Amino acid sequence: MCTQTPPRRLQTMADTVNDFTVNIATANGTGSQSANLILLHSMFEMGVPVSGKNLFPSNISGLPTWFIIRASDEGYQAPGDATHIQIVMNKDTWLADVEKAEPGTIIIHNMDVKLPVERDDCIVLGMPMTKMARSINPKLARMIANMYYVGALAETLGIEESAIASAVTQQFRGKEKAIELNLQAISEGRDFARENWNCEIGYSVAARDKDPNTFLIEGNEATALGCIFGGINMLSWYPITPSSSVAESIISWLPKLREAEDGGATCAVIQAEDELAAAGMVIGAGWAGGRGMTCTSGPGISLMSEFIGLAYFAEVPGVIWDVNRVGPSTGLPTRTQQGDLTLLYEASHGDTQHIVLIPGTVDECFEFGWRAFDVAEQFQTLVFGFSDLDLGMNRWVTAGFEYPDQKLDRGKVIRTQEQLDAIENFGRYRDVDGDGIPYRTLPGSGLEPILYRGTGHDEDGVYSEDPEVYAATVARLKRKIEGARDKLPAPVMREENDKQVGIIYYGSVENTIAEIDDILESTTGMKVSTCRVRALPYHSEVERFIADHDQVVVLEINRDGQLFGILRKELPVEHLSKLYSVAFSDGIPPRAQVYADMILETLSSDTKEVIA
Amino acid sequence: MSMRAIKLNVIDLPKADYTGGPSSLCPGCGHDQISNVIIQAAWENGIAPETIAKMSGIGCSSKTPAYFLGKSHGFNTVHGRMPSVTTGANMVNKDLAFLGVSGDGDTASIGIGQFIHAIRRNLNMVYIIENNGVYGLTKGQYSATVEKGSKKKKGATNENPPIDLCKMAINLGCGFVARSFSGSKKQLTALLRAALSHKGMAIIDVISPCVTFANNDESYRSYNYVKGNEEELHTVDYIPHFTPIEEVEVPEGQFEDINLFDGSTLRLETLGEDHDPGNPVAALAAIHEAEENDKHVTGLLYYDSEMKTADEALGLTDTPLVDLSEDELRPSKAALKELNQSFRA
Repeated sequence: MCTQTPPRRLQTMADTVNDFTVNIATANGTGSQSANLILLHSMFEMGVPVSGKNLFPSNISGLPTWFIIRASDEGYQAPGDATHIQIVMNKDTWLADVEKAEPGTIIIHNMDVKLPVERDDCIVLGMPMTKMARSINPKLARMIANMYYVGALAETLGIEESAIASAVTQQFRGKEKAIELNLQAISEGRDFARENWNCEIGYSVAARDKDPNTFLIEGNEATALGCIFGGINMLSWYPITPSSSVAESIISWLPKLREAEDGGATCAVIQAEDELAAAGMVIGAGWAGGRGMTCTSGPGISLMSEFIGLAYFAEVPGVIWDVNRVGPSTGLPTRTQQGDLTLLYEASHGDTQHIVLIPGTVDECFEFGWRAFDVAEQFQTLVFGFSDLDLGMNRWVTAGFEYPDQKLDRGKVIRTQEQLDAIENFGRYRDVDGDGIPYRTLPGSGLEPILYRGTGHDEDGVYSEDPEVYAATVARLKRKIEGARDKLPAPVMREENDKQVGIIYYGSVENTIAEIDDILESTTGMKVSTCRVRALPYHSEVERFIADHDQVVVLEINRDGQLFGILRKELPVEHLSKLYSVAFSDGIPPRAQVYADMILETLSSDTKEVIA
Repeated sequence: MSMRAIKLNVIDLPKADYTGGPSSLCPGCGHDQISNVIIQAAWENGIAPETIAKMSGIGCSSKTPAYFLGKSHGFNTVHGRMPSVTTGANMVNKDLAFLGVSGDGDTASIGIGQFIHAIRRNLNMVYIIENNGVYGLTKGQYSATVEKGSKKKKGATNENPPIDLCKMAINLGCGFVARSFSGSKKQLTALLRAALSHKGMAIIDVISPCVTFANNDESYRSYNYVKGNEEELHTVDYIPHFTPIEEVEVPEGQFEDINLFDGSTLRLETLGEDHDPGNPVAALAAIHEAEENDKHVTGLLYYDSEMKTADEALGLTDTPLVDLSEDELRPSKAALKELNQSFRA
């Protein structure tokens, strides 16, 4: 056992390498985010497969925050179902954090908080972090105290000094004084742990061969860069967690990546008065022939819904990114969920159907960031990007973004009289090519001008209440969006030879699926195929996957099984009896064991909902 | 057989090139008179129809873009949200001349937020409010601009104070604020021609009687009431940039020339008390005084040409963004390579 009194000799426990979860309980606004990112990046620097989850409050300063770091040679990126090392810094959650620790947990605490840690069944290690921080900088002691647990963990886990130094330098880039101060605190933390704890905690990191091309990046920044490489012309946005950093990243990267030769901007950025205006600006930009985008979260989509219907019916291209948070209503604004899928797919009143692109990795955030504009202009409709807080605001590995593999697709836009003359019987809403996608002309061109409208209109765009005209218009719109199915990103599938159980999932469940798969196989021998849906309307391959398997679980982070509902509505009836919904959301990124248990329970249940 | 010569404007277009489809509004509607003024003003100013974008929200007034400028693209958007759609379109094509038509329900109630923010940004557009004090399409409910004490044809007298959109616009710093009357064709035409020559937000609040629901004499926005209670600040004369001003007869009395962005002039000839359109406090006082006496003050209330427009404030490149090439829109492969490398370091 480790002790805090000087031990007689070094004691060792069985060592678990690169397979543990650290939970760090702090208050927000104390600088703990920097400390936590330094830990994450230093381990990443050593090549340790690592992921970080920030569970933060809807608050600027003083409320509880937990940061979860998972090291996993298996590459698991879920937060982990167990906590092996608990850091307690926050007096407000102290007792609960200490109490919920499983027996055997390593508890590292700030002794200066002067609250009890009465856990004989755990390994309790204290350090007077605030006092030590005060001795090197009284003013910043509260912030710097966090660097002592960084030092303590670095020492006990064996994180290399060079990796720490590199992470600190990166975190405080250009701020020499901050780098020096924080490195000193970390070094003192290391010394204290070595001299006073003098033990091995049973967990350690070991360097692995790191792909030199890899780096960590938040999904929102990847999306932002994708938009910039997609030729975004107009960004309108209204601040809302967890989407604001998409807009802020675009703003920060535009001057470097998108300045015109005359030094002017090639993308207008407007902070709108509300989400309604933000959506209106996107539609105005698309109508005029530009590439407009706004980013928001569920509450914003609710507000934008009227405009979304206008864009669908008047056939105006545009892009809206929804970084999902927990609803309904204001919900849990800083927690994650896949709660808006149905909302996006059928947003606005009347019969509507929208294209939704669903990235599951930061690479896809980048790719769908640019691709969304092409799809929107190709189909002359709004395209949604579907991300969530977990994917958007946490850092994930990429080996570098790939350059778009096709030129900008501006869709069926007529720019000259010759092009117009080549079309027989032109009408703004006439389906000349039989694919449901008409041709359009742009304001300023003088070519076949019309008054766009959200009211009923005929093939020439003229107001009409004629029943046949209306029915034909909405039937064509249906055909147009249906035609997108197999032109959108195909599902990513991994199929077993034995096609018994298949799991359909999407988005950030990608970070947990491998672990769920391994748990199912190791506990029951079940070998499951997986199919990650990457767009709505779903690809025909999804239907093929369902047809090929005996039982298909639709796994998602919400209460009601939203993709399950969409599949149930659109699939041929003979497939319905094999569909099972496993849907759960509590705001925390999915833990593999929870979902694996639910899958097993659902598949073995006799009370499975009977589907007509 | 002799052909009668068709009158052409300065860019050699007949007025017929500025007309639209037949109106479906009630016969005698003030809005139709405004549509005619729009046709007249755009034609007389010699604006190429294809360079105009007609924007509107929802309501009787917002239907009218179908009835004028048939050679211009337009967008009849959603209720109260015309300003945001115009903003997006303006950002990607700053060379378009935006002509917005809205009503009092559209602007003073559901869309008041967007109205305010479009002014705050100084969106480069002409914003006409066809203001009749009632919701026409839903059959005559009061709107928020109706005066206290005014009474429509059916129902009780309105007891709520009005929202005065000109006062609001002046307070928000709008650079061109005018009020007119659909029945004052000459004044309205001159003001609209000046608004089309202005750079930045130009607001014209046009009192436009609703002949079906509020043209009774107890309605402060009926034709007869406005005729009897209109107080003109000045007579207005528009002198286009293509007419040498030296050739225009100089008025006998006092006058003031407003020099507009495109080189045209709005000549204000003083009637009664002198009004200084450069003084926002005087403008507010004039509106307030008229309101106290149940009168309507018309003319150019306030003018300030010094402000940057929304697109100018953003420092956009010279070329309208819709005309940028792929090379200008998508950073190069090398740029992405460098970007990836910067994250690795």
